[in-house]
Amino acid sequence: MSENVELRRAHILANHILRSPRPSSNPSLTPEVCFQYSPPELNESYGFEVKEMRKLLDGHNLEERDWLYGLMMQSNLFNPKQRGGQIFVSPDYNQTMEQQRQISMKRIFYLLEKGVFQGWLTETGPEAELKKFALYEVCGIYDYSLSAKLGVHFLLWGNAVKFFGTKRHHEKWLKDTEDYVVKGCFAMTELGHGTNVRGIETVTTYDPTTEEFVINTPCESAQKYWIGEAANHANHAIVISQLSMNGTNQGIHVFIAQIRDHDGNTCPNVRIADCGHKIGLNGVDNGRIWFDNLRIPRENLLNSVADVLADGKYVSSIKDPDQRFGAFLAPLTSGRVTIASSAIYSAKLGLAVAIRYSLSRRAFSVAANGPEVLLLDYPSHQRRLLPLLAKTYAMSFAVNDLKMIYVKRTPETNKAIHVVSSGFKAVLTWHNMRTLQECREAVGGQGLKTENRVGHLKGEYDVQTTFEGDNNVLMQLVSKALFAEYVSCKKRNKPFKGLGLEHMNSPRPVLPTQLTSSTLRCSQFQKSVFCLRERDLLERFTSEVAELQGRGESREFLFLLNHQLSEDLSKAFTEKAILQTVLDAEAKLPPGSVKDVLGLVRSMYALISLEEDPSLLRYGHLSRDNVGDVRKEVSKLCGELRPHALALVASFGIPDAFLSPIAFNWVEANAWSSL
Amino acid sequence: MISRLLQLFRAYEEDPSVKLVILKGQGRAFCAGGDVPPVVQNMVQGKWRLGADFFRDQYTLNYVMATYSKPQVSILNGIVMGAGAGVSIHGRFRIATENTVFAMPETSLGLFPDVGASYFLSRLPGFFGEYVGLTGARLDGAELLACGLATHFVPSTRLTALETDLCKVGSSDPSFVSTILDAYTQHPHLKQKSAYHRLDVIDRCFSKRTMEEIISALERETTQELDDWSLTTIRALKKSSPSSLKISLRSIREGRLQGVGHCLTREYRMVCHVMKGDLSKDLVEGCRAILIDKDRNPKWEPRRLEDMKDSMVDQFFERVEEEERWEDLKLSPRNNLHALRIAAKL
Repeated sequence: MSENVELRRAHILANHILRSPRPSSNPSLTPEVCFQYSPPELNESYGFEVKEMRKLLDGHNLEERDWLYGLMMQSNLFNPKQRGGQIFVSPDYNQTMEQQRQISMKRIFYLLEKGVFQGWLTETGPEAELKKFALYEVCGIYDYSLSAKLGVHFLLWGNAVKFFGTKRHHEKWLKDTEDYVVKGCFAMTELGHGTNVRGIETVTTYDPTTEEFVINTPCESAQKYWIGEAANHANHAIVISQLSMNGTNQGIHVFIAQIRDHDGNTCPNVRIADCGHKIGLNGVDNGRIWFDNLRIPRENLLNSVADVLADGKYVSSIKDPDQRFGAFLAPLTSGRVTIASSAIYSAKLGLAVAIRYSLSRRAFSVAANGPEVLLLDYPSHQRRLLPLLAKTYAMSFAVNDLKMIYVKRTPETNKAIHVVSSGFKAVLTWHNMRTLQECREAVGGQGLKTENRVGHLKGEYDVQTTFEGDNNVLMQLVSKALFAEYVSCKKRNKPFKGLGLEHMNSPRPVLPTQLTSSTLRCSQFQKSVFCLRERDLLERFTSEVAELQGRGESREFLFLLNHQLSEDLSKAFTEKAILQTVLDAEAKLPPGSVKDVLGLVRSMYALISLEEDPSLLRYGHLSRDNVGDVRKEVSKLCGELRPHALALVASFGIPDAFLSPIAFNWVEANAWSSL
Repeated sequence: MISRLLQLFRAYEEDPSVKLVILKGQGRAFCAGGDVPPVVQNMVQGKWRLGADFFRDQYTLNYVMATYSKPQVSILNGIVMGAGAGVSIHGRFRIATENTVFAMPETSLGLFPDVGASYFLSRLPGFFGEYVGLTGARLDGAELLACGLATHFVPSTRLTALETDLCKVGSSDPSFVSTILDAYTQHPHLKQKSAYHRLDVIDRCFSKRTMEEIISALERETTQELDDWSLTTIRALKKSSPSSLKISLRSIREGRLQGVGHCLTREYRMVCHVMKGDLSKDLVEGCRAILIDKDRNPKWEPRRLEDMKDSMVDQFFERVEEEERWEDLKLSPRNNLHALRIAAKL
């Protein structure tokens, strides 16, 4: 008996060594074929020219973007790592806060040395501004902290000097800023006042005997807070403060104060503390600043709008304080534009990773003993990701359109830019947060790994919904502007012009009662619904407010009460503005596969926006049957966009190294042999 | 030879008795590159499609090697240039020796570093790849190992023993080959004047966005110290075809961001445009001046970098639209897309 056992054991061992097939002594133990990773490219093909679509999506400066991607890939400062047979570049978020801050600064100096920031302040004109936007966007794709630091230094500090300052300020500060001889920050926000800039409590007075301004933090709520770069690196600050001249408060003004000397020591009469560890963006050193009657030279008032002469006389080209305040805030619009575009690039990153993963990951078989099904072959998975993809596409066109209008701005277009940029900033940043959450869930547990990026981006980008203007407040700003425009046109009995309200001059659109598939996909129909929705909400909003105003209530108070209608209206306005930009882009294309696919994407954007908006049913713009048809059409579109999913994310132009391991061979990335 | 290699490689992949493939040259070269004059003949006679077909096969071979499921060991015991790099660098293991002389000299001929060079050069450390591809600089065995183009260095006297040991390997698992090669490999010192000692200057200059800025940066470097290296480098660039320089730079820059398949597809478009000869006749002129008449005085068109506009560069990267039956190089995705093992220095 024991001899047989030994003999059988010897056979088994011999089989291991010779690797010959097992004798089928135990048929129930058939070896399962192990899951084999298959790249998406193996099963999917490109139905259109991806290069062409990328040109449309990025819009401008493709070569500069690719050059910057290359610069980052080729330096160890950007933390290249090999995973699953490929190189990825991504910061090491496991470093301490201090280390992350230091290495962010080193990365900036590397890029500075390579000439990336040349002309960011000293060159003017639309081309220079667009190039700057493009390079800024690419930095954000690598690491939003990098972008945020550059934003504080160039777009806040630098642009403040450029637009609030005059020649003497430009000559003294701009080149040094571009060369990082000066490291700037922007001290506007306070502990007690963020979105409500006008209420800030820092006070500046003037001493005519010494020709100095004296900046003071009168109480704890007045401390400057969240000031990027202030905690460690900045040596100069733009200080936004109330200016009190001879007992009269002249309102918000802009000053330059040195806060550190060239050895990095805090200047006298300035106190700085750290904001501490954050849920994201720990590569940015946010600080808090107190001014203890800090004295600065008179010349340090940035005097493009208002000035104080040597004898202490206050002068301003704008008499009305409200208008003066508006003039101060106008240059900050570029912040809203860049935030909106960074939000979309972040959404693109999340979607590229989640969709590529879903084209290689399988779960559950539908047929017994059949192979497991690819995630993106499930209608439910398509429904989660493809509408978000279509919205991201639409918003990408929208933000490019905004960028173009912004760089060619004139005093006449400033108001519209202010309104549109506010709406876009709110809607696009909210969209990004929602998209990232969905993408995180769509990749399951892998989304918890920092190096897979998708989940980590949530913490990094969350701030976008509240900085540079809280989203909710910005949306209210949009409807207030629409209200003002409506009331003004009606009062003067003039046709609507501007803010996209021209459609209100035509008769009210009548929608067909039956919504067939071809109707739903027709651009004219889509435009009509969006216009009808906006028109109806604007009329309701203005009539509610006007009626109650007639009974003696203040307009401001009524805006607060009617906040829900106001929110519906701003959303309708913004979504319509976005739709228009995609339609414009689509119309410019010659017939062909790119135009066809973009048409599908556009319809998906329009219909998912309608499907998700309760106001259509609530206010009766669409019937219950209509809404049912819209929903069915969205599902149909999911199926039609599915074969284009890979090409659509490839068109984002984000190089493989900037995505993450789960977008590629995630099996090999996790293999024992790669440890 | 290319079609024969393609045939063999495909057959070996299917043949279970083949565990690995060893590629070596005979005589003083591993492979000195493609035979350019016959290709140019085809161009001049309007038979550009014959040239294009040849490149199609060659790039397909390069792709098969880059995605091969079995280890390829190339023994670079001698000259390895141009197409010779194409049939070796994409393989998993590259053995340099003290006799190795590597170069991608295409820009001096009016061509551009092809055979997937936009993929492997762009992945060298820093901007060394731009330097190698634009200047046609020669690298020796030690430099090849240092930058990662070679994976190992074995003195020529030990090659026979190495081959014998490799032939004993009974599995396609690359770790078996690795173990043997790691035992043989040496780490020779770079020569004192090696360009590889100048990575900081190379990175400073060759990271610039445009060709013009690269040359200005190099000229600024020469004013610092009277230096052979920078003068030689500038001279090499100034002798090369301006259109070649600009399309090569863009090719490497785009290649950095693309997989090997996309790189080869893009290079195929570019080489078809070169073959057609309507965007530029520089290859014909380069072949004449360097290979046939050997006067080494080519008359490029355009002569100056500034006259080679971006829009002209763009055209080399477009599909070949005006020709019937022209198709992009279709490389069916294979499952073994492994990263080039150049990452040794990470």
